[in-house]
This record gives sequence, C-alpha cells and structure tokens, in this order.
Amino acid sequence: MSESEDPHVIVTSERLQSVIEALSYASVDEFDSCLTLLQRSGELKDEFSELETAFSIFVRELGEAKSELNRTLAQQEAVNRELEAKLETIEVQQAAIRELSTPIIEVWAGVLCLPVVGIVDSQRSAEMTETLLETIVSKQARMAIVDITGIDVMDTKTADHFIKMARAVRLLGAECIISGINPGIAQTLTHIGVDLTGIRTLRSLRDALQLYLRETEQLVVHQHSQLARKLSSES
Amino acid sequence: MPSETRSFAIQGRSDVVVAGSQGRRFAVRHGFDVRRATELAIVVSELASNIVKHGVRGELRLIWNPETPPHGEIAIEAHDAGPPIHDLQMAMTDGYDDRGPIDPALILRRGGLGTGLGAIARLADRLDYREEKVGKVITARFLLR
Repeated sequence: MSESEDPHVIVTSERLQSVIEALSYASVDEFDSCLTLLQRSGELKDEFSELETAFSIFVRELGEAKSELNRTLAQQEAVNRELEAKLETIEVQQAAIRELSTPIIEVWAGVLCLPVVGIVDSQRSAEMTETLLETIVSKQARMAIVDITGIDVMDTKTADHFIKMARAVRLLGAECIISGINPGIAQTLTHIGVDLTGIRTLRSLRDALQLYLRETEQLVVHQHSQLARKLSSES
Repeated sequence: MPSETRSFAIQGRSDVVVAGSQGRRFAVRHGFDVRRATELAIVVSELASNIVKHGVRGELRLIWNPETPPHGEIAIEAHDAGPPIHDLQMAMTDGYDDRGPIDPALILRRGGLGTGLGAIARLADRLDYREEKVGKVITARFLLR
C-alpha cells in the first residue's frame, strides 16, 4: 500500500482456495492440517498474509481451547462415573438397611428370633409386627422370641404395641417370648399399666432358648412315656 | 459453644434411619445424656417417618441453640411440601390421624399406628407447628438440663 494508492489486493485463486480448505479443516476440528495449509500459503509476505496469520493465530487458540475443553470433559466424565458408582453403593446399602430393620432368624426349626436394635419408632414397630406375623405363618413357627436387649428407650405407645404384637402371635397359635427388657423399658411398661398376663418375658435370649429346649425335652419325655404305656398295655 | 445446624434430605426409609442415628450423635455431642439423646432420636425418626409416609419430599434440620435458657436446646425442624395438618389436636391423639380414628384393620397398610405425633409430644419438651406458603414445619424442642 506504500507506493500506490490502489485499494485492491491481488490474490491467486490457489491461495484463496487453500484458505477455504484450511477453514473447512478447522470446521471439523482438524486444527493441525488447517495450520499446515495456512503456513504453506502464508510464506509470501503481503497484505493477504496478514489475514492468513491472524487466521492461524485464531485457529491455534481455538485448537488449544478445544483440547482443554476435552480434558475437562474427560475429567467430568470420570467424576460422573465415580458418582454413579457411589449412588449404586448407596442404593445397595439402603436395601440392606431396610432388611436389617427387621431381621427374622429361624434359630431352630419352628423357632423364630427377632432381635431388635437401634431406634424404634411407631412406624418401625408396625412394620416389625407385620413381618413377624407373616413369617410365623409362612414358616409355621411355634415360637417367636423378640429380643429387645439392644433397646433402652421406647415411647410408651410403641412399648404398648410390642405387647400387642406378642398377643397377636398367640392368636396365630404360636408362643411369643419377649427377652432382654431393660429397666427403662420395664418402668415404661408398668407406668402405662400394660396388662402382661399371658406374656412371657425372660431376661435374655439365652434364657428364652433354654426355656424352649426344656419344654421340647419335656414334650419328648411325655410322648415317650405315653408310647411306653401304650406298648405295655398292648403286650 | 456456637449454634450449629445440620440438615438431612428425607426421601426414603433409609434416610429415616440415618437421621435418627445422626440425631442421637448430635444430641450426645451437645451434652445430652444417652437416654435423652435416644428419646430425641426417636422423635427425629418419627418426624422423618411421617415425611416418607406421606410421600412428599422433605428436609429435617437439627439446630443447636446455645442461647436458650437454661443451658441451650436442640430444635428438630421437619419441613415438608405436603398438605397442612387438617386437625393438629386430633392428629396428636393416639390412634388418630389428622381426620379421625384409624381403622385398626388399616394400620399395616397405612404404615403406622397413628401414635407418631403423640410420641413426639410426649418425648419432646415443646412441639410447634406452622404452615408456610408451600408445606408445613413441625418443630420439636429438647432442652438441655
């Protein structure tokens, strides 16, 4: 532009073509091919090469930003995967907690044990009753031992509900023993004047199991003597 | 000791268990004896159970207020987006929900005995209830003695 006032810039169609080609490379994220093309055509120093240089700076920056973005995305992806794995763990644990809230164990054929631990609210005690009664029917259990050693505090109505649960078990033709009542719960129960007739309470789960064994033993002895009598009368 | 707040999102049964056990720890940490802390945990559990039972999203907040006389208090706030309690006095009666007596045959299906609010009222030192633009807040307070 120095010697002449000619406002036109003359460019060969070849150079123009290669800029267009470079642009098309950039549009599909092939920044390296794009830059090579621009470099080759930018070897001439004229006014058009200023545009080429500006273009290549722009493309280089775009390329860097793009790869930075990809790196961040990859990191994000890894974080997401980790989060998903954690969510899965939480779901598994939630299921475990639900199961653990009423673990009913068949300690002997026909003898169920429901160890109660943790915090017992009214809803949980309703769930326990439901599960225990269903299991007594499905396992044809003769005895259910509800062990509340792990409980030191209960609301009066919830304690009352436990006694009702024991009565419901008897209605199903099984016996219910409540073991491990601690002093606090004992006070709660007498305080609200719960009728404990017909409810067997024992100090520990061990006592409850021993009682069961003694009774089965007596039953077996009784059956044996009956059988012996029958045999002797027949002979 | 400065005031302290802990929040728990309540969506499912396991959140109830977590809130209950965290409630007990929170109370013990702020000087409550184990028995009282367990009573507080039962209240937390009842409040959280209520949120889950009525199928609405909610949040439970444990707030330690050291300024409350004589030695500070823990306020348990249960926020939920559900409808207001129709009749609070009735809902607090054992064996009733907010609209009347609960049919014993339906206890299992409705997932509770209707004694939850009664238990909260018995165990906590104070029970407050307020309605908000959306939902309601039940606050149970335990004073440190």
